[in-house]
Amino acid sequence: MRYGTGPDVLQQVNLTLAPGSFHFMVGPSGAGKSSLLRLMYLAHHPSSGRLSIFGRDVSQQDRTELTMLRRRIGIIFQDFRLLDHLTALENVALPLTITGNPLDKVRRNVSELLSWVGLADYLDAKPPTLSGGQQQRVAIARAVIARPSLLLADEPTGNLDDKIAERLLFLFEELNKRGTTIVVASHNEALVNRFNHPVFKIVNGEVRLIKDIQSPPLQKTPGAT
Amino acid sequence: MFGARNDVPLDRDASSRFLPWLIAVMVYLATMALVVAITMNKLANRWDQGLSNSLTIQVPTGQTPADRQTTERKLIDLQNQLAQLDNVENVDILNDAELNKLMEPWLGKDVHLQDLPIPFLISVELEQSNIKTIDAINTLISQNFPEASVDDHQRWLGNLLGLAKVIQMVSLLVVLLVGGAAGLMVILVTRMGLAIHKQVVELFHHMGAHDSYIATRFQIHALKLSTAGGFSGLLLAGFTIASFSTLLGQANSSILPSLTFSIAEWGLLLLMPLGASLIAMMTARLTVLRSLALMP
Repeated sequence: MRYGTGPDVLQQVNLTLAPGSFHFMVGPSGAGKSSLLRLMYLAHHPSSGRLSIFGRDVSQQDRTELTMLRRRIGIIFQDFRLLDHLTALENVALPLTITGNPLDKVRRNVSELLSWVGLADYLDAKPPTLSGGQQQRVAIARAVIARPSLLLADEPTGNLDDKIAERLLFLFEELNKRGTTIVVASHNEALVNRFNHPVFKIVNGEVRLIKDIQSPPLQKTPGAT
Repeated sequence: MFGARNDVPLDRDASSRFLPWLIAVMVYLATMALVVAITMNKLANRWDQGLSNSLTIQVPTGQTPADRQTTERKLIDLQNQLAQLDNVENVDILNDAELNKLMEPWLGKDVHLQDLPIPFLISVELEQSNIKTIDAINTLISQNFPEASVDDHQRWLGNLLGLAKVIQMVSLLVVLLVGGAAGLMVILVTRMGLAIHKQVVELFHHMGAHDSYIATRFQIHALKLSTAGGFSGLLLAGFTIASFSTLLGQANSSILPSLTFSIAEWGLLLLMPLGASLIAMMTARLTVLRSLALMP
C-alpha cells in the first residue's frame, strides 16, 4: 500500500482475521498501523494484492456494495472525530441517521447506549464541553451503535492512564464476546500484553505475528477476513 | 434535534455570509437584463405594428399664407384620390392638434405651427404593405406635389428593429452569462466547503453514507442561500422597475416605453430567483458527487 506516488507504507502483508476474533496491532508511531486500519475500513485501496472483507473481494464490489460493507464496520479514531456542532446524542446517532433509521428508534437506542457508557446526563452536551474521557466514550458509542461486525480502534488508549485504558479494553472484550471482530491498534505494548489476544507487530511496513493466542471464533457470526 | 440541523456545519463557513449577496447581485442583474429584453421586444412590436402598413407623405406648406391655402385645397383632392386606390384603408391629413402632439416631445406644448416651416403630413394606412400600391401612391404624389416626399418607414424601421433585436439578444446573453457566473461561483463555494469540511465528509463516507446523502447536505445549503439571495435580488429589481416606471409616467412621453408587464412576463421575472436556486442546487450536488467519486 502506498499514498499517491510515494513509497510503499505497507508491503508483503498477509493477514487473515477470523470472525469473532480479537487482535491487537502494535508498533512504533509511523510504522503503518493507521494505514493498515485505513485499508480495513476501506478508506484506501491496496496498490497491489487482494483485500477481502466479510468474504468479499473489495476490488469486485461496486460503489453501493462498498457503502453497505462500510456500514458493517465501526471505527474509533485516535482523535475521536466528533462533530462539535452536534450533541453527544446526535453524534452517536449519526451511523443510524445516515442509513435512514426511524428517529424515535434512533433516539431510544442512542439514549440507552449513552447510559450504558455512563453518559446519561450528557445527552445534549456538545463535545467541546465534555472531558477527553467522555468524548472518547461518545466516540466508542458512535462506533458500536449500529452493531458492527468489525470494530477497528486506532490508538483508543492513547490519551488515557493505564487504569482507564484497561477498563476500555475490557469493554472491547465485552463487545467481542457478543460476536464483534475487534482490531485495536496501540503503541502501548505493556498494556496489550496484559490481555490474552493475538498481537501483530508492524515493523518497517511489514506485519509480523508476535503473539499467537487463538481467539475462539464464533460460529454464527458473518465472516470477516 | 435530529434532522433540524445540517450534519455538515456549512452554516458556519464564510461562504454562507457572502454567497447570498453575490446571488442577489446576479439575480438583480439578470432580472434587469430580462426587463430590457422584454421592453425592447414590446417596443419593437409596437413600432412594427404601428408603422409597417403605413406611409407618411410630407407636403411643403409654401412660402406665403396664400400658398398654404392653395396647398390645403389641393390636399383634400389628393386625399380623395388616394382613398380610392386599391389596398388603401385610410387616408388622414394631420390637423394642427395632431401635429402639435407629434412635435411635443421635441418642441413642447402650445407651439404655433404656422410660425414654423413644418410641412403638411398625410398618414396613409394600407391593408397590406405592397409595392404596387406604394408605386401608385408615389405616382399620384409626384403628379400633384412634385416637391413632396413619401416615407414608407421601411428603411429606418428596419434599422430600428435590427437595433432592438441586437439589444434584446445582448440582454438575453447577459442573463445567460450571469447564470453561468452564478454556477461557477457555487462550484467555488462548494469546493471551499468540501475542503473546509473534508474530515466530516470523510467521516460520513467511512460510516457508510451514500454519496447522495452527503451531496444532499451541500445541495440544501446551496438552495437555502441562493433562495434568500435570489429573492432579495428580485425585490431590489422590483423597486428599480417601480422607480423607472414612475419616472417614465412623469415624463408622459409617447416615444419612451412603458414598464408595465403582463402576468406571464412577471412569471418570467420570477423565474430568475427560482432559476438561480435551481442552478445553485444542481451545481452544488454535481460538484460534491464528482468530488466524492474520487474517494475509494
